[in-house]
Amino acid sequence: MLRTITTKTLRDGRRALLWWALGLSGLTILTVATYPAVRDMPGMEELLEGLPDAILALIGESDLLSPEGYLNSQLFGAIVPLLFLFFGVAAGAGAIAGEEENRTLDLLLANPVSRTRVALEKALAMVIGLVLLGAILWIATYLPGLAVDMDLDPMNLVAVVVSACLFGFFMGGFALMVGGSSGSRGLAIGLGAALGVAAYLVNSLAPLVEGLDWLQRLSPFYYYYEADPLRNGLDPVHAAVLGVGGLLFVLVAVIGFRRRDVGV
Amino acid sequence: MTSATPDAPAIRTDGLTKSYGRKRGIIDVDLEVRRGEIFGYLGPNGAGKSTTIRLLLDLIRPNSGTATVLGQPAHGSAVRLRREIGYLPGEMALYPRMTGRELFRYFAALRGMKDLTHAEELAERLETELDRPIKALSHGNKQKVGLVQALMHKPSLVILDEPTTGLDPLIQQEFYRILDEVRADGRTVFLSSHVLAEVERIADRVGIVREGRIAVISEVETLKRQARRKLEFHFESQVPEEDFLRLPEVVEVRTDGRILELTVEGSVDDIIKLASRYTVLNVLSREQDLEEVFLTYYAAPEPDEHADPPSDSDASVNAPGPSEPAGEG
Repeated sequence: MLRTITTKTLRDGRRALLWWALGLSGLTILTVATYPAVRDMPGMEELLEGLPDAILALIGESDLLSPEGYLNSQLFGAIVPLLFLFFGVAAGAGAIAGEEENRTLDLLLANPVSRTRVALEKALAMVIGLVLLGAILWIATYLPGLAVDMDLDPMNLVAVVVSACLFGFFMGGFALMVGGSSGSRGLAIGLGAALGVAAYLVNSLAPLVEGLDWLQRLSPFYYYYEADPLRNGLDPVHAAVLGVGGLLFVLVAVIGFRRRDVGV
Repeated sequence: MTSATPDAPAIRTDGLTKSYGRKRGIIDVDLEVRRGEIFGYLGPNGAGKSTTIRLLLDLIRPNSGTATVLGQPAHGSAVRLRREIGYLPGEMALYPRMTGRELFRYFAALRGMKDLTHAEELAERLETELDRPIKALSHGNKQKVGLVQALMHKPSLVILDEPTTGLDPLIQQEFYRILDEVRADGRTVFLSSHVLAEVERIADRVGIVREGRIAVISEVETLKRQARRKLEFHFESQVPEEDFLRLPEVVEVRTDGRILELTVEGSVDDIIKLASRYTVLNVLSREQDLEEVFLTYYAAPEPDEHADPPSDSDASVNAPGPSEPAGEG
């Protein structure tokens, strides 16, 4: 674990990752386990049919009793992407600015490693963290789903998990860029979280406002969720927007980090 | 130890200038550190020592001027250079949850180094705690871990920012011995300090930095030779003090009737000859230690009073200018 900056970073983050994994899997297992009760509740269908369309649009789902509709409304529509957002932002902000604020960066950079390598290895650690979290999300959704006869398409579940990881990568890349270029972890977390939450709000509110629906396409959340990966699989264009966007942020982070004074 | 340019000086800076904001940084620093010497970079906290060092390591970039390390530009070849440099940061922080041993393994891996024998040897000599998490160590024990990682790959150039902070005296002595061995090995040490006795003890040459500027660069021996001395004559009867004050070597005279206390700079020959005209009961001579040398450079120019830095022949002295930016140390 101490051979590279990436593995060392993951090793440092192992305890945090464990807590994330416990929290996330607890949430999904509980949610999935509640599904049969909701599905079989008498009168539920009629209740939902009686809701006005505007309310259903706000929830973002018209079919709350199907497995996909249920999981989208309870997990993948808001809480999962927000968790991936915060995980990505914390990892991205801590990557360079974290070492800098802990004053360990001088020592790390006294070794024969370029700043480019430091930034890229830290970005890779963030990606691996996201992938691990995604794997846990998939397992903790699919296996309980089998137990309650949810009949989920495993590949579509992979699609929504990958989409969430890409969303986390995009936002984490943004935080890495801010932290890497400024050296301030607080600024990176603040801007990253603010942008992520704004992305969520814009995506859900813009379509409700006449003439502003185009705004939705500026939101990274749109590229995470709009194609409904849990039902339709991964939309390659939407996935590429997030992936390429995240990579561009990482690139700018490298450039910004290389050019500036560190630890002042 | 091999270096790309083995004949070039270990460190050379020309007009190196870095300012952050209005009151911190260094101005026009010209330094040359020779291969195989121990160079002491002396100055009070905030004089710009760490700023200079961090420029040499390409952690920060100068506003103007150049820094060449082992014959290579500090900025252009930073990664290659760091293979041959060992660095102990000032106010260093280590990864709190790692043990010393883990830290050495990590940095050794980043250096592509497999053999940790030297690290273990150094750790043992400095009595370093290797198997407890760094956050559980005292300040001095952390400092030892920092020193070992700076020396473990036998670098051609060791740059140490305030290396002995927090070390107990016995360990300090062992550390000085290690530095002597590094020098004997033909390798170079550049260390900053605000402790004169330390530089006096181990350095071959010293550069004194004051408010961001180099005040003087000199052999430690020369500096000591040029140092002002106190000469105290006990005469049998009263002597005319003006005669002594007229001698160019005499800087200051204090008298208490038959006891004459002279502050002398340079040769004492004329003074002895003059004194011998009277009956001398006793002579006391005391060499000024570096502490006082240091004070002559630092006590010097506060805003309006212009005190004179010791003039000299061998040492290069830049008259310290008043109120220039001072760095963070």
